[in-house]
Amino acid sequence: MTKVLLIGSPNSGKSLLFNRLTGLSQKVANFPGITVDVATGKLQGMDDVDLVDFPGTYSLKAISAEEKVAVAQFEKALEDNEVEHVLCLIDATRLEKSLFFTLQVIRECEQHGKAVTVLANMIDVLEANNLSIDLPALEAAIHTRVIPISARSGKGLADIAEQIRAARSAGAQARRPHLVDTPDELLRGTAHQLAQRLGPRGDVLVRTQNRLDAFFLHSVTGGFAFFGIMYLLFQSIFTWSTPAMDAIEGSLAWMADGIVPLIGNSILQDFTADALFSGIGAFLVFVPQIFVLTFVIGLLEDSGYMARATLICHKPLRYFGLTGKSFVPMLSGVACAIPGIYAARAVDSPRKRLLTYMAIPLMPCSARLPVYALLIAAFIPAETFLGGLVGWQGLAMFGIYFFGMFIALAITGFVSRARKDAFDDLPFVLELPPYRLPGIKPLLRNAFNRAKHFVVKAGKIIFAVTLVVWVLGYFPNYGADLGQSWLGHLGRVIEPLFAPLGLDWRYGVAILTSFLAREVFVGTLGTIFGIEGAEENMVPLVQQIQGSDLTIASGLALLVFFAIALQCVSTMAILAKESRSGTLALKMFGAYFVLAYAVAFLVYQLASAF
Amino acid sequence: MEMKPPPEATRTLWSLRRGEHCAITGYDDLLAEAYKVRLMEFGFYPGETVSCLQSPGFGAPKVYRVNNTIYSLDDEIADHILVESTPPRD
Ligand SMILES: Nc1nc2c(ncn2[C@@H]2O[C@H](COP(=O)(O)OP(=O)(O)OP(=O)(O)O)[C@@H](O)[C@H]2O)c(=O)[nH]1
Ligand SMILES: [Mg+2]
Repeated sequence: MTKVLLIGSPNSGKSLLFNRLTGLSQKVANFPGITVDVATGKLQGMDDVDLVDFPGTYSLKAISAEEKVAVAQFEKALEDNEVEHVLCLIDATRLEKSLFFTLQVIRECEQHGKAVTVLANMIDVLEANNLSIDLPALEAAIHTRVIPISARSGKGLADIAEQIRAARSAGAQARRPHLVDTPDELLRGTAHQLAQRLGPRGDVLVRTQNRLDAFFLHSVTGGFAFFGIMYLLFQSIFTWSTPAMDAIEGSLAWMADGIVPLIGNSILQDFTADALFSGIGAFLVFVPQIFVLTFVIGLLEDSGYMARATLICHKPLRYFGLTGKSFVPMLSGVACAIPGIYAARAVDSPRKRLLTYMAIPLMPCSARLPVYALLIAAFIPAETFLGGLVGWQGLAMFGIYFFGMFIALAITGFVSRARKDAFDDLPFVLELPPYRLPGIKPLLRNAFNRAKHFVVKAGKIIFAVTLVVWVLGYFPNYGADLGQSWLGHLGRVIEPLFAPLGLDWRYGVAILTSFLAREVFVGTLGTIFGIEGAEENMVPLVQQIQGSDLTIASGLALLVFFAIALQCVSTMAILAKESRSGTLALKMFGAYFVLAYAVAFLVYQLASAF
Repeated sequence: MEMKPPPEATRTLWSLRRGEHCAITGYDDLLAEAYKVRLMEFGFYPGETVSCLQSPGFGAPKVYRVNNTIYSLDDEIADHILVESTPPRD
């Protein structure tokens, strides 16, 4: 097995090229710093060659711990005997940015006796604007083959394969070293001169970009555009995913109706109905939202707009210890924390990424919606005024949504001030990508992969927890009486914990099971109150709750509790994986539980006093 | 680290208004060495001409052009890059 490395500066098109050459689907986006892990795939048409996609770095001189990891990985790969060839990808429209890095890579390859080829990407953009770079002169100057390609249109890809084959038969020794001992300072000077001499002439690209920026970054038009785009984004999440969510719910119900009666064993029958269809189904319903959100945010990212939104939000977020780069992750978190956590990869400063992770689970995600809807319907008067335009219930919903965001910012603001020097920080520098027409196919594929990843990864954990909750609730009396089940006994054990909030054991159990996913709270209460299908039809459950001796103070306490607590195994699983630290997820769970409890207690006491 | 206030005439990159050009003269002492290197790799090195393309309101990061690449920098870093005014190129 031999390996070919693919390396280049951020946003130069490595992942798109990698996908093209291997047939895989790494995330591609018009935003620097998307790829964080090394990805490996077989070269199509050459089964014995692996292609390795590296995260983009601006230089081989790393300044953050993460870059150090990436650079160390690259250097280790160069020591590897299986590695024969290095492909260095540059953005032909922005030679200046890539050439210094390219020269560093060539030098390293010479030192390690590896073949190296430079790929000048985005040739399609140059051609479309009647621009060119002097490739023969560049080849002569850097003593290295330069192949013009377009990862978008596919131009030049065959030449790459041919070059890899040629280099294999020639062997790396064919190359005469030129740069082996050249220090960085000299390389930098050379790179600068070359870019000036050979790079594309003219300002066309920069001018187009600047005209659009003058609009999107303008204090007035930019602000309107920002809010308009965000409004459309949220509309699309709800309108585009609702039919799919309904379809999933419908087909699950249809399947359950068809399958459950066919099962002979009654325990198995109950298990299939309650745990498999209700439990797993409750989380599958959110898959369309993850898909639509990933796709729409991908559209905005690939068009280049997200980088502008990042600028607009930077100053306000910085006040709370975050950065403009936290905006996209937090925005994603409003529908579901999981895509938000994935998106946090693009926050380059480790310190600010950690703070971003802390903020995301407090964004008002859609799983909180059924809980809020139930509690608000039960406790807040339906009275409206101003001709139905404003109502207490609507205000309460609005208030609890903003409460979550407020707490998120309060926490990051506090933590960043309390731990001023903890963790490496990087100043805000963002290479502004050009505006582009988004590539729809890769975006659909990426959205599909995210959804699949969510189902597979989170599904395992959710299955396990569902199983446990179901067994506890079902035995020892076979689902006849939840109150006498192990879960019921457990409920009475934890009752003292929730008594200070004015909640009895039934709510305690519902909170406990809602750790699986927040919306399970509604289902569990439904089961407890002996009502089937509480999630579909809330009115009877609302009346039951109103009829139980729960006070409005407890209702408010519950609302606040759900706004803060990290009640979601899937989020914790993905958080642990992405942050590469199981303890972060556990610490956050603990801290947010305590905070949620404390604030809920405060609210309960205050509300009871009036 | 010595913390001399910069001489009166010194301007920083952050002080540029939209459409202004300047030449980078250096960095102040408060900027960490690693960032200096990184800025140079981006193209912001002494002698280079930089123009300010956008200066959005409300303290948002400004947009600068070095060669054919466009970066946005916030005041925490742009205020440590020292510049002198140059006549416009066009
Ligand atoms: N027009 C055009 N666009 C391209 C080409 N190659 C890549 N792109 C676009 O450039 C952007 C960046 O592509 P990626 O493949 O994500 O870049 P990357 O080098 O992997 O970026 P990082 O992982 O962030 O370092 C995306 O919007 C791509 O669609 C090309 O040849 N032509
Ligand atoms: Mg990539």
